[in-house]
Amino acid sequence: MSDELDEIQAIFFEECTEGLAAAEEGLSAMQNGDTSADTIASVFRAVHSIKGGAGAFGHTALTHFAHSFENVLDAVRGGKIEPTLPLVRVMLIAFDLLSDHVSAATGQAGVPEDGEMIARLEAILANGGLADDGEDATPAAQAPAPAAPATEAPAGEEDPFGFQPVTVAIEELDGESGGPADWTVRFTPGDADLANAGEPMLVIREVESLGGEIVAVDVGDLPALRDIDTEAAYFGWTLRVPGTVEESAIRDCFDFVSPEALVEITREEAGAIVADAVPEPAVEQEAALPDVRAQVDPSADLDQMLSMVQSIAEATTIAPSAPPAPEADKANKFADKPSEMVSQTIRVDLAKLDMLLNLVGELVIRNSILSDRLSSADAQRVELPELARLTRQIQDNVMSLRAQPIRQAFSRVPRMLRDLGAETGKTINLETIGETTEVDKGVIEKIGDPLTHMIRNAADHGIESAEERIAAGKSPDGTIRLSAEQKGARIFVRVKDDGRGINREKVLAKAVERGIVPADAQLSNEEIDQLICAPGFSTADTISNISGRGVGMDVVRSNVEALGGRVEIASVPGEGTTFTMILPLTLAILDGMIVRLAGQRFVLPLAHVIETVQPEKGQVKRTTPNTEVIEMRGEYLPVKRATEIFGLNDDRSIEDSLVVIVESETAGHVGLMVDTIDDRREVVIKSLDQNLHPIRGLGGATILGDGSIALILDIEALVASPTQTRFAPKGLAA
Amino acid sequence: MSKLILTVDDSASMRMLLKASLSAQGYRIESANDGQHGLERMHEVKPDLLITDINMPKMDGFELIEAVRSEGGFKGTPILVLSTEFSDEKKARARSAGATGWITKPFEAEKLGAAIRRVCP
Repeated sequence: MSDELDEIQAIFFEECTEGLAAAEEGLSAMQNGDTSADTIASVFRAVHSIKGGAGAFGHTALTHFAHSFENVLDAVRGGKIEPTLPLVRVMLIAFDLLSDHVSAATGQAGVPEDGEMIARLEAILANGGLADDGEDATPAAQAPAPAAPATEAPAGEEDPFGFQPVTVAIEELDGESGGPADWTVRFTPGDADLANAGEPMLVIREVESLGGEIVAVDVGDLPALRDIDTEAAYFGWTLRVPGTVEESAIRDCFDFVSPEALVEITREEAGAIVADAVPEPAVEQEAALPDVRAQVDPSADLDQMLSMVQSIAEATTIAPSAPPAPEADKANKFADKPSEMVSQTIRVDLAKLDMLLNLVGELVIRNSILSDRLSSADAQRVELPELARLTRQIQDNVMSLRAQPIRQAFSRVPRMLRDLGAETGKTINLETIGETTEVDKGVIEKIGDPLTHMIRNAADHGIESAEERIAAGKSPDGTIRLSAEQKGARIFVRVKDDGRGINREKVLAKAVERGIVPADAQLSNEEIDQLICAPGFSTADTISNISGRGVGMDVVRSNVEALGGRVEIASVPGEGTTFTMILPLTLAILDGMIVRLAGQRFVLPLAHVIETVQPEKGQVKRTTPNTEVIEMRGEYLPVKRATEIFGLNDDRSIEDSLVVIVESETAGHVGLMVDTIDDRREVVIKSLDQNLHPIRGLGGATILGDGSIALILDIEALVASPTQTRFAPKGLAA
Repeated sequence: MSKLILTVDDSASMRMLLKASLSAQGYRIESANDGQHGLERMHEVKPDLLITDINMPKMDGFELIEAVRSEGGFKGTPILVLSTEFSDEKKARARSAGATGWITKPFEAEKLGAAIRRVCP
């Protein structure tokens, strides 16, 4: 059971994540003016569910905070509190705290300090909204409020948690000698009880299970047979319960009895009525009570009474419970069939999917081994292409299993922006587009940090202060647009701000000052923009007043490149900057071209390949001692010898080599000279980082069909523009 | 044959928790994830008892109870509300919709069992 509970709790935490996302989405919508009942209800429901589950698993701090938050949301839902913008902002902060509480419950963080926020929420509830001075309700305004709810709220909490376990010692029930006097319980159900399928006999049975006995049945209200309404309640019962039973235990039996019903628990002691009718509305019926009492003569012969009572009781039980019986039968028949609900989704441990993906990788490799070993005539047989097709389909399917909406990576952003807003005093709106775009889970996990850097940059340095924006004729609030889209096998994630754009003069001056570029360098605007990603560029106090536009951008670039992606920067002075991360859909398998360099096999990612050329004599020319170009259709493209970059011996003539024209982000089209092209193949990427360390120019390794290892070329790093290779101080090792 | 209970809750963990706890007490459990789904399941499984949450998407607990009570075939089926809400107003509303009883979350297995015994023999 405890394992099972752990498992259920894990699901609860996943639900919390979903609930938090839904709440945040709703609150953001409210911030943008959507205060429709549906939106408010969705936020309420999310917080409410978190509270419910948290209670079930004993996370009291989380339950307590969610409870305070929920109360305010409930008041907003019920129209008692106006969802003004300042209030929504407070709720967003409360939401952040709720997220922290959830993290604390999962053990990932300490329990956050929530006293102030709870007081604030209670003040909001008590005042029917925020104090006049908006989100910064003064402590003075809060001071009187917490006092009252503070004592009230726990009382309210008592109710849901007020299950007092009642232990009833069986021996005590019998031992009457000298014990407290017996209880007399009078119970007359109301019509509503029967209408709501509240079966009085079951209540009486509960009392009996406490040792109670029926001593009288009041049939005074029973009309003539022809007037009987089968759905009305005509009987009343008087029961005697041993005095040793706790009153609350008896009362518990009547938990579900309708307010119209009469429940009276009295004790003979000094004839005092210890408790009167349970639900207060029943007091009105007190007037009718004397009749009932008059008919119950406590001194009557109990045995005789009892037998009569039981026969009547039996009769009354059978009547109402007769109809459900056939239904129960039907239900039983139904249960013979597989009655388990077919669920639409299942949750799978990620490790299992990773394992599956690895196995599929192995399958892909075995598939290529098979086609390598068979003669070409055999390889043409229909079974093999079919096997290849199936392998491919399995691979695609496994990939799609790991695909998740990128929303997960985006979900941290709103909070980050709120924190940044509070830090910088700017108001920044967030627009998100394409958050349902699906990406491999591994990619999602790894873009978090680059994304954080990019958002920080945009908020810190891209977006101007409100005054500056007004002076520039813009709206005082900045906007960051976060978008994701899939194009082929790549994912484009963009962070676009409407800020001041990159100040190229300053960037260039700073780069010169840092020795990143020579003073006389002639750089295009794009090249200057790229400089902010240059290692060593990032510093404090440069471009903007806080910490410089380049903060962490080199980290961003190297992280994204490590994922096999790249970063593009586009900036329009005065209008804003767009950072684009272009990422592979998956990190595991790529379409590659097997090429040879000095006889050794390498994998060249096909996504970069534009075309291949067998150079004719004189088509490749040496322009300077270190640079070669290839002439193609009247244009000259730079050519690089991969063998040179890796320091391999290469004595092939140019005419014996092939030039693969590849497209790179930083250098455009570049020719890469290789010996030959062996094959085109899907390869399973094995990371070098895990076993060695990242090597610039290599994106990983793979196992080829014959079991040998081939290194995967990192085109971007190999053909990086002269600016970057020349100025990159670290050389090959990234 | 043991009693069949239909639990309606939009939270998977709550459904699982109920199932774990009630199966251990000898009940058979069916579940549904919102009111609308719950109403469909009522017809399919014809349970001996319905336990429903209040706050759910598509159709909430109140609406579900009303819908179930308005059907002649379910007049005698007890309905328990299991909710984190506990205001008298909500309880009264559930009752007028036709609920037999109200249990406040979080529940204790034993307490829940006792509550069920009180409405479903």
